[in-house]
Amino acid sequence: MRFLVVLTLLSLSVPAAELTPSQRKLNADSFEYAWKTIQDKMWEPMPAGLDWQKVHDELLPKVQEAKTMAEARGVMRDMISRLHMTHFSIVPSDIYDTVGAKARGDGAPGFEVRVLDGAAVVTRVDEGSPAAQAGVKAGWQIVSIDGKPLEDGLKRVAAAYEKSTTRELILARGVLASLSGAEGEKIKVEFLDGNDGRVPLELKLTAPRGGETKFGYLPMQHVYFEQKKIGNTGYIHFNMFLDPQRISSQFGDAVQSCFKCDGIIIDLRGNPGGLGGMSMGMAGWFISSTDKRLGVMKMKGQNLDFRVFPKPDVYGGPVVMLTDGLTGSTSEIFEGGMKDLGRAHIIGTRSAGAALPSMFEKLPNGDGFQYAIANYISEGGQPLEGIGVIPDEEVKLTRKALLAGHDPAVDAARAWIQKQKDKR
Amino acid sequence: MKRTRFFQIFAAGLFAVAALPVLAADEELPKAEKVIDRFIEATGGRKAYEKHHSEVASLTMEFPGKGIKATGIRYTDTSNNSLETFTIEGIGKVDSGVQNGVAWESNVITGARVMTGSEKADRLRAANFNAPLHWRELWKSAETTALETVDGEECYLVVMTAAEGKPETNYYSKVTGLLVKQKRVVASPMGELPIEILAKDYREFDGIKMPTKLTQIAAGNEIQITVDNVKYNTLISADRYEPPADIKKLLAK
Repeated sequence: MRFLVVLTLLSLSVPAAELTPSQRKLNADSFEYAWKTIQDKMWEPMPAGLDWQKVHDELLPKVQEAKTMAEARGVMRDMISRLHMTHFSIVPSDIYDTVGAKARGDGAPGFEVRVLDGAAVVTRVDEGSPAAQAGVKAGWQIVSIDGKPLEDGLKRVAAAYEKSTTRELILARGVLASLSGAEGEKIKVEFLDGNDGRVPLELKLTAPRGGETKFGYLPMQHVYFEQKKIGNTGYIHFNMFLDPQRISSQFGDAVQSCFKCDGIIIDLRGNPGGLGGMSMGMAGWFISSTDKRLGVMKMKGQNLDFRVFPKPDVYGGPVVMLTDGLTGSTSEIFEGGMKDLGRAHIIGTRSAGAALPSMFEKLPNGDGFQYAIANYISEGGQPLEGIGVIPDEEVKLTRKALLAGHDPAVDAARAWIQKQKDKR
Repeated sequence: MKRTRFFQIFAAGLFAVAALPVLAADEELPKAEKVIDRFIEATGGRKAYEKHHSEVASLTMEFPGKGIKATGIRYTDTSNNSLETFTIEGIGKVDSGVQNGVAWESNVITGARVMTGSEKADRLRAANFNAPLHWRELWKSAETTALETVDGEECYLVVMTAAEGKPETNYYSKVTGLLVKQKRVVASPMGELPIEILAKDYREFDGIKMPTKLTQIAAGNEIQITVDNVKYNTLISADRYEPPADIKKLLAK
């Protein structure tokens, strides 16, 4: 999603044009559509306890009077922000169309970032990427991007989201947004290396890791899957629950190739989710009972059980799932359910608490509209929204460990799997 | 029962629709069997149905406003076996079928599973070839309960009750005798899902009239289905109905 943020920023530089009467009408129609959709789809009788009609009556005139698209969009965003829920958004049409056709501005330097103790730190460098070729290492700290220091901005954002489970997510995405641009562009990044020496680099932006995947009106996404063995422990990592033909199949192959492993680590750190149903299929590789579910999706007048669909052959050994503040939505449904069913040990930091199932539609004015259609309650009885998956074992990533070539969460996972083996 | 074959095909979709006003019927309602017999006549007549021993139907599906499209083919014949295979853009394949009384699904998202209970019963009914002719075997009872309008068209409501599963309501046009709407509750492992299906644009394929535009609504989601073609009496190999390896493994467990 980071390119959405980038393009949002880019769009701010475009001079605002005065709206024509027909554009104003389309904006009003869009407002009505979004307002009614929320009213119809919200699982609570009163959306977020609000008098929804009052919200309508207050804001509709403002949309009708808006002189620019930005102003009209601002009113619509005001409406949805009052819900205080994730998975509600308005995406400007230019961004929506651009990324929908071909992700321009989707270039990345080839590394992942987390904000650790107030500093933006490289946590993983993609093999063969411009960053890898330039010698960037996990554990390096990002000091500035295109000459702009990060520290103050990070402090301000961290303070603004102090009590939110999505703080880690927002901080990391903010940094990644600043690192993005059109493929082929160059970006100046100043790092602190392992000895805290300043390393200024100019990095070329390339296509993000993974194969392109398009689903409906969702913007183009890049999805990758990796598996490896660490000793006799299987390790699986993928960045999104999309492209099921490829990802579910590779996931199944990875589990089957590890039936004799001491344990399996499923690393969902940084995975923001995707198609919810994929979690039910994947859980079926580890649970043989046909009467289990990961949780329940509560929609308006309707509940849907997230059933586990057991495979013909199931892995019965220990499973560890890794989580962090960028683990969201379907990842949380999968981890939360596996935890509640006692089938996985969760290691890492609390997930994003952003688990509302949502749809993406095009509004009459061309903007994209994302809206949640349900609440999700994990099998343990707790909603995931705003709470997240609480790890069984909290293990924080540190710059020191990364510089030493360690991933503390993976280390803890291997140690736990070894303990289970010793117990047997 | 007296749904058309296409209603059966899409029964497991995801939809729901607006409730329509109930009209006070000031006339005696016809018996259900009369309404059903009229539907059979209106769609071609018993003899036209009996001429066929297999059916291959192709269709396209679209989720309005969501940019999602799918294509599908359904095979079925007098063995009462069936295979439905769908390819959804950006997702992949979802296949389901019935073979020798076993109903199964192989879904790229959720995996393979064998159906049980009322879901299975529903799929077996749907796989019954020329089902409208066999409604007395497939349903325990049928009763005409009311007269309502659907899109301005007066319809008889016929409630069909099976030995297993929830009743479904079929809306037959008083004027044409055709089925224009169906309300039912689809059983699935995720729970029961009420759906409504609207049928339009009946077209004749080798003597049988079929609706070629179907709108299914469930849980607020709409799917538009277009029946592109229907071919009768083509040779369908018995192998076509073989379930995939994962289903066979599940059955062997």
